Amino acid sequence: MKDKIIDKVKKVKSKVFNKKTEVRTPSKITWCPGCFNNQILAGVEKYLKKQIESSENAAKKKDEFALVTGIGCHGKMFDYLNLNGLNTLHGRVLPTMLGIKIGNPNLNVIGFAGDGDAYAEGVSHLVHAARYNADLNYFVHNNQVFALTVGQPTPTTEIGFKDKTNPFGVKVPPLNPMKFMLANGATFVARVFADSKQISWVMKEAIKHKGFSFIEVLQPCIVFHPHKGYKEQTYMLQGKKNKKSKGKSEKHDKTSFKQAWKKAEEFDYNPVTKKTKIPLGIFYQVSKETFEEQIPAVLALKKQGKSWKDIER
Amino acid sequence: MRFNILFGGKAGQGPNILTYTLARALVRKGYYVFYSRDYQSVIRGGHNFNVLTFSNEPVFSNDSIYNIIVALDDKSVEIHKSQLNKNGVVIDGQFEQGNMFFAGRIFKVLGIDLKYLDEELKKIGKRYEENIKAAEKGYNSEKEKFEVDDLDNKENRIFRNGNIGVSEGAINSGLDLYYAYPMTPATPVMGELAGKQKENNFSVIELENEIAVANAGVGSAITGAKVMVGTSGGGFDLMGETLSLTGIAGVPLVFYLAQRQGPGTGVATYQSQADLNIARHTGHGEFPRVVLAPGDPLEAEELTSQAFYFSQKFGIPSIIVGDKHLGESYYTIDGRAEITKSGKWTDFSRFNSYEKNKWGSATENPEIVKRNIDARMKIKENVMSEAMKFEQYKVYGKEDSDNVIIGWGSTKGAILDCIESEGLDAKFVQILYIEPFTNKEIWKELIGKNLILIENNATGLLGDVIKEKTGFNIHDKNKILRYDARPFLRDELLKEIKKRLKK
Repeated sequence: MKDKIIDKVKKVKSKVFNKKTEVRTPSKITWCPGCFNNQILAGVEKYLKKQIESSENAAKKKDEFALVTGIGCHGKMFDYLNLNGLNTLHGRVLPTMLGIKIGNPNLNVIGFAGDGDAYAEGVSHLVHAARYNADLNYFVHNNQVFALTVGQPTPTTEIGFKDKTNPFGVKVPPLNPMKFMLANGATFVARVFADSKQISWVMKEAIKHKGFSFIEVLQPCIVFHPHKGYKEQTYMLQGKKNKKSKGKSEKHDKTSFKQAWKKAEEFDYNPVTKKTKIPLGIFYQVSKETFEEQIPAVLALKKQGKSWKDIER
Repeated sequence: MRFNILFGGKAGQGPNILTYTLARALVRKGYYVFYSRDYQSVIRGGHNFNVLTFSNEPVFSNDSIYNIIVALDDKSVEIHKSQLNKNGVVIDGQFEQGNMFFAGRIFKVLGIDLKYLDEELKKIGKRYEENIKAAEKGYNSEKEKFEVDDLDNKENRIFRNGNIGVSEGAINSGLDLYYAYPMTPATPVMGELAGKQKENNFSVIELENEIAVANAGVGSAITGAKVMVGTSGGGFDLMGETLSLTGIAGVPLVFYLAQRQGPGTGVATYQSQADLNIARHTGHGEFPRVVLAPGDPLEAEELTSQAFYFSQKFGIPSIIVGDKHLGESYYTIDGRAEITKSGKWTDFSRFNSYEKNKWGSATENPEIVKRNIDARMKIKENVMSEAMKFEQYKVYGKEDSDNVIIGWGSTKGAILDCIESEGLDAKFVQILYIEPFTNKEIWKELIGKNLILIENNATGLLGDVIKEKTGFNIHDKNKILRYDARPFLRDELLKEIKKRLKK
């Protein structure tokens, strides 16, 4: 009986859902109450709505975006965002995004991955994505834990973290994604906190950037990872103020690799104390030729505003 | 008349171009030529050889005995001289003169006019002056020992290897994108396609590993592009998870699986047919797929176009199973490939690796899960009935014979040569469609017959398929299996078949 009522509610909802223009699907949010993923979703929705609703042809504008997500809590972004794309396999967000971009170079390709996807299962793709510099926008929801499998350490989990599967505690130092991306030649390296304002701001900047945009999102898991006092230790680079952060904004030259590297070293992903300083913002941004521009036939498609599907043979 | 020539030498000495040049000239003179390549995983040195067999009648395999040995080093004579027939000729010595000097020599020995060689060298273009000078010198240093006359040339004849067949099939099917990571023996398809991408407006893209290749393939295919990926066994294993993804998400992706000897790294540059089961079963879960096994370069082209057709029509993965021997051996075949045309029938929408609901989001609802699976099983049925429109198997030899030889893939060549050359009392059933499999039709061909299985593997994998699908059990003593990583040779195989024929 209860199920039937729920079904009816769903049916009513789906009737009013406009598949062509709406950003948000009717799927019900199943993240934990208070989960920072809600903030990320809100920020993305805000950005997309502004783009799509302000457009004269909303359906057409919506179809200019492509979405790829991986597997983990972050993957539910695909369920809630009504964009074309693929909720792909664990770890394979980047090659899927690349394939979509090459398939249709006129799409704005947005990808979300977890720290498990990005830094464990699919880390090899990340090395090459930074090298290739295809025009992709890659957001990593880093909660420093495998949350959907109930709390095992990932490559960015701090030393000393204990759980059922690691009773002796994590002994190896965490990977620093910022240094990792800088070292591999990414042309846009940013870090934000899971705050809707920061997300919609960085998304706008990332999509504007022509090339591979890497955005690390600090999204502390409220169930399986210490999260209290985390946001308070963050501060913004580039004069962008974060109201909730303690520190003041700092001047930063994002075209300077040296400065970016220095900022990347400031936070090593080990336990956050009151002394920890976590810089946020765009660490590094330079311009380089993109992967798809180097493939003559794909470049031609881009210039003509076409995809391979439009090519008749 | 079958005439066998062995070309042996070190890697880097150029036995391939030497073989190719003579083969091309013989084809132009009206002969049927087949040549295979035996090379080690060595860039310079070692021992590589090619065997070229030609005849005035169709020929698709080599023999173990040679009429001529062309040796670019002493080792080639040492290793192969026991296989020279009693009136055989060895062309060796003066190794420092290079392969074009040897080209001149073999042309003269066979009594082929130098103009044929000159034209081939002009076609190659590179270093023509130098080459023709060396060739002339070689030509004048030898005496004519055989007479290879001109035959009436048939116009509608192709000379190519299986890899070119697969490549042409993809191009003629409207290929947009080919993704690959280098792996022998699939790499030549990548090279072949890369060379033709500009004139045909498609792109060949090499990525960091086979996992990236398969997933980028998926990404492009869901935007509506026609995409193929290519690899060998180990790379295909890596693509397994993605193959499963194409199954649930409904992605029209074509895979070219070029088999080589495994398991593991196995014998990396040699022949095998041991990967039939990964083509049939790789990927978790239940989903429709098409598995096609061409037996010569013409079929490679045709079946590749059919693979694209099935993938596009039904939104499913298709796998073309080739092998090293088919891919790298050159065949002379009468006729032209019949291409099955297909459109780009996929629209970019919301695809999912989870079971999805009507707006494309993940669902765990049991009714929807079942409905989605039922839909996939329905596709499987539809694929099966659609496949009835195609030639799923071929029959050669004596239709009413009590002896039925069963095979698939590149063993076709040696089997055909056996039954044709001596008019054996046997029928040959070549399976092209491994999945879907026409149980009933093939059952009719096999019932009550003396079944002989011929495969390039140790366990008789096609035999297992026959047993599973038709219920017929092929007796172990009637399985002719070769698994030393080498292809079947006609004369050796003929003896094995004769032992098993029912009189």
